[in-house]
Amino acid sequence: MIFLTVGTQFPFDRLVRVVDEALGLKSFSEEVFGQIGESSYKPHNFEAVKHLEKKQYDRIFQEAAGIISHAGMGTITMALKQQKPILVLPRRKMYGEVVNDHQLEIARRFASLKHLLMAEEPEELAEKLNILTDFKPNTRETQVQAVQERICQFLQTLP
Amino acid sequence: MVKKQNICLVASAGGHLSQLLRLKECWSEKEIFFISTTEVVRTQLSQFGKVYIVGESNREHPGRVLRVWWRCVRIILRERPQVVISTGAAVGCMACFLGKLCRAKVIWIDSITNVERLSLSGRMVRYIADLFLVQWPELAKQYNKVEYTGAVI
Repeated sequence: MIFLTVGTQFPFDRLVRVVDEALGLKSFSEEVFGQIGESSYKPHNFEAVKHLEKKQYDRIFQEAAGIISHAGMGTITMALKQQKPILVLPRRKMYGEVVNDHQLEIARRFASLKHLLMAEEPEELAEKLNILTDFKPNTRETQVQAVQERICQFLQTLP
Repeated sequence: MVKKQNICLVASAGGHLSQLLRLKECWSEKEIFFISTTEVVRTQLSQFGKVYIVGESNREHPGRVLRVWWRCVRIILRERPQVVISTGAAVGCMACFLGKLCRAKVIWIDSITNVERLSLSGRMVRYIADLFLVQWPELAKQYNKVEYTGAVI
């Protein structure tokens, strides 16, 4: 099963539509389950719900063979932590989906570091659906400790 | 008696907040309070300290920005933090400027999603920040007064 998730804040019709159309055209044949928020586009070719309780969300996420999502950091981080292949379509300012293009920037950078697969447009996403489950994401190294030490060091200099 | 550092931790709910929460050890033994944007995160944050929820705001809704600004004014005047730590976005920017006016030290950690340039909030806060960290090394070369010590996410 592939889990399609658009985050909880806003709908993301472009993403829901392209996945639904790919399934309709049989260019992609995995089972898909979606968490699609207040999407005005209703999928015909896969099962979807508006919202999921956190527990259910976590369970479905864990069971999924791959994730399709917007380029939100919450979803991306969760996928990386579980070493799940993830394919993202960034929300774009020009379509009124977000107020800036940070999703595009981070998706491009993370794709170049092989943390995820990305598509800049729905057509490209449709093409990449079939390579999703074979994608092996690079694990991400963070430096939380070093950053915390720098901040602690600064705090100690204060009266 | 030495007054304990009162630290204001501020971030919009979601990615900004989760990056701030990765830095728990910095403030685990200090007196702290949170400012965030939606009620959804209240329970999660209240295990660490006092929580103020001020609502969402962005450039597209000037009315909401004013309301959030006013709420932040009241919180900062009441709490008088010695330090403000933020990962963004708009609400963090507001709290940093208000904190600075009350002589607080300002620590800003620009969010990981700002890859090619600093966030809009970050570009403003840079002028008043006492410690400004970024999560991509190239950004530290691009701007003055900006340090890279690593990524938190």
